[in-house]
Amino acid sequence: MQPISAEITAAHQSIDLLSARGVSKRFQSSVVLENVSFSVWEGEVLGLIGPNGAGKTTLFECLAGLIPVDAGEVQFRQQATVSRKNVLFYLPDGIRPWADQTVSWAVSFFEALYGRVSSDSAALLSALKLDHLLKRRIWMLSKGESKRLLLLLGLLTPQPILLADEPFDGLDLRQTKEVMALLRTHAAKGRTLFVSIHQLTDAARVCDRLVLLSAGRVVGEGTLDELSAKAGVTGGGLEEVFLALT
Amino acid sequence: MRSRRFFLFLQKDLRELLASRACWILLIIIGPLVGHGFISAVNLYAEASGIAGGPAALSQGLTTLDGILVPTFGAYDLAATLLFPFVAIRLIASEKESGAWKLLMQSPASILEMLAAKAAALLTGWIIAWIPGLIALALWSSYGGHIYAPECMNLLLGHLLRVGISAGLAVAAAAIMPGAANAAIVTLAFTLGTWALEFIAAGRGGLLQQIASFTPTAALRSFEQGQLRLSTLLAICIFTIAGFFIASVWLNIGLRTRQHLQRTIAIAAILIIVVIPAANVRAAWDLSEDRRNSFSAADEAALAQIRQSLHVTVYLAAEDPRLMDLDRNILSKLRRILPQIEVEYASQSRSGLFESGNHYGEVWYEYQGQRMMSRSTTEQIVLEIVYKLTGVSAPEAKTDSQFSGYPLAARPTGASLIFYAVWPVLIVFLWWFDSKGIR
Repeated sequence: MQPISAEITAAHQSIDLLSARGVSKRFQSSVVLENVSFSVWEGEVLGLIGPNGAGKTTLFECLAGLIPVDAGEVQFRQQATVSRKNVLFYLPDGIRPWADQTVSWAVSFFEALYGRVSSDSAALLSALKLDHLLKRRIWMLSKGESKRLLLLLGLLTPQPILLADEPFDGLDLRQTKEVMALLRTHAAKGRTLFVSIHQLTDAARVCDRLVLLSAGRVVGEGTLDELSAKAGVTGGGLEEVFLALT
Repeated sequence: MRSRRFFLFLQKDLRELLASRACWILLIIIGPLVGHGFISAVNLYAEASGIAGGPAALSQGLTTLDGILVPTFGAYDLAATLLFPFVAIRLIASEKESGAWKLLMQSPASILEMLAAKAAALLTGWIIAWIPGLIALALWSSYGGHIYAPECMNLLLGHLLRVGISAGLAVAAAAIMPGAANAAIVTLAFTLGTWALEFIAAGRGGLLQQIASFTPTAALRSFEQGQLRLSTLLAICIFTIAGFFIASVWLNIGLRTRQHLQRTIAIAAILIIVVIPAANVRAAWDLSEDRRNSFSAADEAALAQIRQSLHVTVYLAAEDPRLMDLDRNILSKLRRILPQIEVEYASQSRSGLFESGNHYGEVWYEYQGQRMMSRSTTEQIVLEIVYKLTGVSAPEAKTDSQFSGYPLAARPTGASLIFYAVWPVLIVFLWWFDSKGIR
């Protein structure tokens, strides 16, 4: 699985679909995000990487409007976003919604809520290998199954941008590859994906560009080559770049 | 589109209700609770009606409202106070705690729309919980018991409003507090607070007593007396709606705490502005069959001619039974008829046992500077004083027919089986059926 080429990336570069400008957030005396600025381009898969406690989840929740920012703004197509729910959908990590309901119900609820046809969800159920779990209650799902169900729900939503917090967490190698392929298919169809990933090898494989977050600050943004150049790392992978910049 | 979405959320919330153990436990318990109230009431009614062979004691006192309806539906007051809040809290807290609320916040539906669906689901659940009560009414009818539809419907309305307050309070607590347990503590603390308020305000008069008359238990009591007071109806509806609005503010997790507080204060301010005029609305209807909350039609027509303010000063303590008689037999009826009546409770003690003043036991009536005193709590004597004081001619003859009561010496046949066995087994079976995923 290869990220889209530099040429395609360059073609998208002129279109800032979503941009964060000077976003800051603190919880009491602790600064979690400080003057965070970056752009999400249309149709790309953008990865958010950073060490534990860097503020990745907080950044996603700020972008989704689920927690208020202290300073800065989030723009959609260079305009202040009026209603984030029309622009992006955020899939949190570590949640297990409607645990007493069945997989089938959760899928049909999202299908009806977002006006999707059943063939959309059938295709996703098959791609995410959830079709044999339809009658199962959500609390009975394994961590990986639950994560795939959440991804399915996210992919059923129609917003142009999908934010996913650790979408590969809990998936085995084969599932990770399959989910990456699925995400790339959706990106190729025009959906923009912004994912936080702690596995750097996964991030290098699936993302067109990366945003490196460390201690609440953006320490790098660009393709792997651009980040390598910035870090002064030659011939190394994302791990070396990550260690050099964070 | 919007209505389709509403029904989608309603369906979701009904499924969540069915997944809630609290809801099933409420349904299981409500059957025996209602059954116990009903069976005891029917037996007592039968004894008072002379089932043991003696004559019916004071048959005019044997009304279905007091004898059967109030004790049977009393179980619902208990359930609305101690069980239903947990069901309502769970409906909000489970989505907050599981992360589902973060997904729902991003859906096309507004928070108020989602809360409206939750309110409708809770109402549906409560109406299902009414089935044992309705079975009790059907059994009473089958025994030959009399049911007067207006007072029965009025009582059901009172219980519906009672649970509305519980829902508003529980939903607001669940939205504000982190965790279901904290929300439950807040809800129960509020309920205890209203009981304390009622106790403190009893017989005090003034603003405190007026506020206390809108606590859930006190409000329900007026419906149990066969009264439909517009002020109570409006105040309860306003409190309930305010609870849901406050919940909508706190469920908007994208706001700062300061914004939550500001909006809550704004809602509280609007609540006060709206509820004060609503609480002063005098319109009230006596829907009891025995017209216990009314003077005779002739007296009411005569009293309606009084245009100026009648001031009543009562020197009776809160726990003095004479005060209760005076309130029930005279003052509550006068309040319905006279547009301007002011009642002042002048006693300083709760029991009156050690009251030091010389006036204890007196009730003074004042109209346009003239005063008259009586110690009586009897309707005929007090009305005579009011007529004398106001110069209104007392009616010549009272043509109202005397309420004769409905004695019925019947045993609650079959009730034990239905409420103690069939109902709980049926609910347990439905719970098992549901938990197996056969929906």
